[in-house]
Amino acid sequence: MNDRIIFDNVSKFYGEVLGVNRISLSIPPGITTLVGPNGSGKTTLMNLMTGLVRPSSGSISVIGLSPGNATEFFRNVGYCTQFDFFPRGLTGWQFVFDSLLLFGMSRMDAFQLTVEALDRVQLRDAAGRQIAGYSKGMRQKIRLAQAIAHHPRVLVLDEPLNGLDPMARAESIALFEELGRQGMHLLISSHILDEVDRISDRVVLITGGYLIAEGNIHQVRQEVRDKPMQVLIRCDHPELLASKMFSINHCVEARLHADGKGVFLRTGDIDQFYSMLNGIAVEGLVKIEAVAPADDDANAIYQYLIGSDGSAS
Amino acid sequence: MSVYKHNYRPYTGKVTPLWKRIYVLARYGFAEAWSSKITVGLFTLSLLPFIVFLILIYLANNPIARALIFKANSQAFAIDARFFFSVLQVQSWLALALAAWVAPRLIGFDLADNALPILLSHPISRFGYVLGKFAAIFALLSIVTWVPCLTLFAYEGYSSPIPWAAANLSMAGGIFVGAVIWIAFLSILGLALSSWVKWRVVATGAIFAAVFVPAGIGAIVSAILRTRWGSLLNIPMMMSQLWRRLVGAPEIFSSRFALPTTAIAVMLTLACLLCVAMLNKRIRAREVIRG
Repeated sequence: MNDRIIFDNVSKFYGEVLGVNRISLSIPPGITTLVGPNGSGKTTLMNLMTGLVRPSSGSISVIGLSPGNATEFFRNVGYCTQFDFFPRGLTGWQFVFDSLLLFGMSRMDAFQLTVEALDRVQLRDAAGRQIAGYSKGMRQKIRLAQAIAHHPRVLVLDEPLNGLDPMARAESIALFEELGRQGMHLLISSHILDEVDRISDRVVLITGGYLIAEGNIHQVRQEVRDKPMQVLIRCDHPELLASKMFSINHCVEARLHADGKGVFLRTGDIDQFYSMLNGIAVEGLVKIEAVAPADDDANAIYQYLIGSDGSAS
Repeated sequence: MSVYKHNYRPYTGKVTPLWKRIYVLARYGFAEAWSSKITVGLFTLSLLPFIVFLILIYLANNPIARALIFKANSQAFAIDARFFFSVLQVQSWLALALAAWVAPRLIGFDLADNALPILLSHPISRFGYVLGKFAAIFALLSIVTWVPCLTLFAYEGYSSPIPWAAANLSMAGGIFVGAVIWIAFLSILGLALSSWVKWRVVATGAIFAAVFVPAGIGAIVSAILRTRWGSLLNIPMMMSQLWRRLVGAPEIFSSRFALPTTAIAVMLTLACLLCVAMLNKRIRAREVIRG
């Protein structure tokens, strides 16, 4: 069976309003994060992926399945929406259990899967309480439990980290990483770019309904050639290193670290840069302690490609 | 890239049929409806006439009571088609009040809470969602319409000194069909209107208005054009004529106002199709978010 989520030239219009336009993607298993400003089309993309809306044009295949075959499709897809909805008067247990009945599980299977899902999100102790009395973090967790309870192969999570305290956020991220390692597709939309960096295998950048970039964060960063990459080098003689790099490489900017024990260098040719840095290290003139990309992250990519005003540059 | 162990096991067990899944939504709808004290009040009110009719049947079949209450004119009060038409009519209009209150609660909360994306990301279609809600309100309205009507019919059959039930089985069928047509219409009308009107109280008013306002328009049309066809907009009159024919009660409308049964059926079908179109337009899992 095809293990990819494939968008083939997909467009979605709501009347005259553009949802997404001509999106072509092929997403492998692992954690993929959708990044974009409000109204960029992330939720539309997720709704398309989960079969909740049909594309105006193009085709979508989710691990080889089409939403037309609803029972098989939704058995393999879990969706955790951003909306804080729960049927009134239900306990956490009932919410997850009923969701499994809606997925078509027998009561026996639903019982076992509910226990397992509640354990996974560490909410079993509070399962008997009404959801109305849950904190925001607990509500996020119970939604997550509902989304994973039926063992989907594709899990779509719309802003799953919103409202979580640092501890709950760390627990959720650990769960996402575990599910991703196990070969599940996780598609997460998030505004928390630091965490996008930590957990994502791939990013999909979208704004105004258009796909801006997709792929591994580092690959995407390298593709942004008109923005020289910034590298932080911790060493004993940062001034000397900066002058050497300027003389032999396409360095366009050098800035000393505040503590004087490092230098930020910007270069237009990162491959040649690392090659030269190797040579300098071998020469022994400068003792290099650490080398790390300083703008090779989701935040930088977001700023470069989308900008703070949300319009693609 | 991560090294994937691919040890995640999707669920491969048996899947229940669609109706069982829809039952969950119907249960939610039922719980939603009964969570209001006004629903309980209206429901209780709807069953009061049933008790009165029950007593009347008892009195009508009790020789001593008949002799005491009706005295010489003991034949004046008969349990016949006219009586059951009255029962059906009373119960049906009370069902309208109940539907107008309950229907907006079934869909209004879901739309207000953006529940549709999460509910429709299960293997139930939009049709399944509406069917679940429809089943909830239909079941509720059944309890105040054909169930008490047929209970009274059965009681009359039991109480009557003559083999009454067997001779009037077609009346029971008429009661059932008449009530089912009405509550199906009310259910779909209530769901359609409440999917379009955001405020529940306004939706309740809109359901009453949808039943009674066209009647006024129909009367104006009939008066101006001197035609009976304006009555096709008069739902109370249409239903009254339909119930009479189904139950077998004598007609009271002159031929000038009487509508053919086919015309009534077509009109109700068209109204239901309009409601389905309204639901189809509104019950969607999408939302356009623009920052």
